[in-house]
Formats: sequence, structure tokens, C-alpha cells
Amino acid sequence: MSAAPSLPVRALAALGRPVVAAARATLELWGVLIGTLAGIIRSYGKGGRRPRGAVLAQMYAIGNRSLVFVAVTLGFIGMVMMYQACLQFSRAIGDLSQVGLQFLRLVVSDFGPTLTAMMLATRVGAGIAAEIGSMKVTEQLDALRMSGVLPIDYLLVPRFLASIVMTVALTILGAAIMYGAGGLTAWLSFGVNPRTFFDPAMVQPRHLALGLIKAVTYGAAIPIVSGFCGLRARGSSEGVGWATTAAVVGSSFAVIALDFALSVGALWLFGGDL
Amino acid sequence: MIGERTLTLLGARAIAVTREVGGIALMTGQVLRALLPPRLDGRELVRNLHRMGNRSLPIVALTAFFAGGLMVVQSAPFVKRLGATSLAGWAAGYAVLREIGPILIGLMFSGRVGANNTAELGTMTVTEQLDGLRALAIDPIRYLIVPRVLAMLIMLTALTIIGDLVALVGAAVVAYLVLDIDWRTMYFSFADNLTPHDFFHGVYKSVAFGAAIALTSCYFGVTVKGGAVGVGRAVNAAVVAAAVSIMLLDFFITYATA
Repeated sequence: MSAAPSLPVRALAALGRPVVAAARATLELWGVLIGTLAGIIRSYGKGGRRPRGAVLAQMYAIGNRSLVFVAVTLGFIGMVMMYQACLQFSRAIGDLSQVGLQFLRLVVSDFGPTLTAMMLATRVGAGIAAEIGSMKVTEQLDALRMSGVLPIDYLLVPRFLASIVMTVALTILGAAIMYGAGGLTAWLSFGVNPRTFFDPAMVQPRHLALGLIKAVTYGAAIPIVSGFCGLRARGSSEGVGWATTAAVVGSSFAVIALDFALSVGALWLFGGDL
Repeated sequence: MIGERTLTLLGARAIAVTREVGGIALMTGQVLRALLPPRLDGRELVRNLHRMGNRSLPIVALTAFFAGGLMVVQSAPFVKRLGATSLAGWAAGYAVLREIGPILIGLMFSGRVGANNTAELGTMTVTEQLDGLRALAIDPIRYLIVPRVLAMLIMLTALTIIGDLVALVGAAVVAYLVLDIDWRTMYFSFADNLTPHDFFHGVYKSVAFGAAIALTSCYFGVTVKGGAVGVGRAVNAAVVAAAVSIMLLDFFITYATA
């Protein structure tokens, strides 16, 4: 009677299973975002309770402790990018006076926020998922729930707020370091006059606005995606490891996909003259 | 005194970093020595190649596609100003092949494969499975580490080559959809302006990135201390170390090969 399902049925099931899993995960991810936003409203509304100093502590953990990491990586990548750009420009156009103008535009509207956020997705995303995941597998989240505290309110809301503030702050710092390192490279390796290079003529308010919007969006996306991965951790140390991996990949990919969406959107909005 | 405390903190940090760098160098030596008479566990290698390479293909392809598209979007204003659509492929292709492609694919690979590897080795370490192997007279370096290092090295290179192609396709698709640049214009823009040298520049980098990711992730995996929390912390440290080494190697390779 109950023979093994036929091949087409099995093929359909094999195709459908990842789709269903992905749809469920997407729903859960939105649930975490909405839960976090609701938690913010609850905690700042009437009679809201906030753990004291939690946001500040998270700002320190997310921001201050990533400072050296972000500064080093963005400094080096700024030098490399400038080097490659000068190499090509001197070969193809032979005129390096435009390099600084274009570089600043790119750093402000794209590379600064996006590369800073990629670095933060690695460091902060892994940290959030590892912390929340360890609490999940050691049943500390259940203990929180039992004492009438929602884990999202207690753990994710401070991280969410701190991450937005600190991503913006680190983006400004990272972009400045990248620009400075690029200018130094152009000056020392290609003899571009710093006065020609450090010329902000190309940057308009819309570039600054786009960069700021990107930084805020990434700052919101990283804790949501990694918190979601941490909350899904199962099992023991292996589960925490899996959650951390998923958080790094998920939040890095979220940064790239959001960057693409926001850049294309801005291009459309400004009619190709971004 | 505050100065004294800062100095102590700085010194402790410096010693910790030095210890990590030394540990990674030692592990590199052990891996190379284990490779000298190349006795490889073929089955373990193939399993790792499949697990680390084939199964990372979707995320790498997606990342590369977006990276290619992004570079076209970013170069659009400059291309428009010069009025030369034939330069769009040059700018995007050059950036993708030399820098953005290897770096983004390397970071994604570090997140997916490197972090996962640290978690797995870390779990084996905290559950004392490595000691178990040693008790059976099986060398963990030869049995566990070497196949993983080789697999990551080979697969990141392969994924970067595939990713480069996907990124160029992504650039052409986005150029067509967003900027109305013809496929043919894009193709000739790539073909006329990009040289094999640009492509190989990115491939060298991916080999170095693969080695860096493999060695850091294995090192932080086998040195885990302290249960589930320790595993999480080790994964965090591994991805940070991998990201820093990717950026540093990128810098040195760019200058060395110029």
C-alpha cells in the first residue's frame, strides 16, 4: 500500500523543501525586525523598562572595540584602491587630476559605508550571534522568558540601537581614513599634488545623504540578521558555531544586496547623475 | 595611574597578537612538513573539496553578480560625463577582476567556510576528539588540517575564477537594464580593455587569501578553550583575523606585482 513515493514526487519534494525552509526563515527574519521595532517602542513608551546602560555597553562593544580593526582594514584598502586607480588612469587617460574628485565621491556614497559595514558584519555579526546563540543553547533565553522578559527586548534592542549609532560613527571614521590613505598613496607613489587630490568639489549633498542612508541601513541590518541567526541556534557548541557562520554570511550578504538596491535606487532617482 | 594601565593593556594585546601570529606560523610549518612526503588522505580531501567548494557556489555566484553590477552602477556617472559608454566595461571589469572580486569572494568564503571550519574544529577540540585521535596515533595535522588547508586553497581559487565570470555577466546585465548599454558594447569594452594580466592578478590574490583563511581558521579552531562560549569567541576571532590578513595580503601583493 504505502510504497515509496515515485521519482517525480521525490524530486518535487527535494525542490520544495529548500523553498519552504527559505520562506519560513524569511518570515522569521521579518518577525525579528518587527519584534525589535516593537521592543523599541515599548521600552521608550509609557512605563517602559530599559536595562540601564545596556545601549552604552553595547556601543562600547560594537564601536570602540572595532575601531582598530576598521581603521587598519579600511586604511589598507584605501591605499590599494588608489594605487590601482592611478595605475589605470595614467595608462588610459594620462591625467590624474580627476582621481581625487572621483575617489571622494565613491568613498562618500559607496565604498566608505559599504566596506566599513562589511568589516562590521564580520566582527559584530559574529559576536552578536555567538553571544545570543550561547545564551540560547544554555537555556538562558528560556530563563529570561520565565522571568517575564522578552529576549528580543532585553538583548536585541540595545544591540540594534548601538549598532546604528556606531556604524554611522565608524563609517565617518573609516571613510576619512580611506580617503586620507588614498591621498597619501597618490601623492607618494604617483606624485599627485595633495591640493589637487583633496578637493571636495564633486561631493554634493545627495552623495552625503546616500552614504548616510546606507550606513544607517547596514547598521540596522547587521544586528537583525545576526540576532536572528543567534536565536535559531540549536544543540550545543556545534549549533553556536553554525549560528555564527550563518550570521557572518547572512549579514555580509545583506550589506552587499542592500548596497546594490540602494545604489540602483539612487541612480534611478537622480536620473543617472549620481 | 592611567598611563601605566594603558601601557599594560597595550602590552598584553601586543603579546596576544604576537602569540597568535607565531601560532599560525608554527601551524604553517607543520602543514608544510606534513606535505613533504605527500601522503594525502584522498577521501577526506575530496569530501572537503565538495563541502567547502561546491556548496559555497550559490552564495559566491550571487555575491559576484552583485559586485559586478555595483561596479557598473558606481562607474556610471563618470562614464556618462565622459560620454564614453565603451569605458563602462573597462572600469567595472578592471575593478572586479583585480580588487573587488577577490576581496568580496574571499570575505564571503571566510564567513561561510572559514568560520564553519573553525566552529567544527573548535567543537572537536572542546569535546576532546583531537586528543582521541592522538591517542589512536593519528596525527591531527595530517588527518584533519592538511586536507582542509588544501581544499580551501584550491576551492577559493576555483570559486574566484568562476566568480570573475559571473561578475562580468552581472556587470553586463546591470549595464543593459539600468544604463541601457548594449550587450555588444559591454563585450567589446571588456575584450578590448582587459588583459589576461588583470585576471591573473586577481587569481594570485585568491590563492594567497585561500591560504590565509585556511591557516587562521584552523589555528583558531584547534586552540579553542572553554565550551560553547569559547567556540563562538574562536569563530569571531578567526573571521576577524582572516579579514585583516586579506586586506594586508591584498596590499602587499598589489605593490609586489606592480
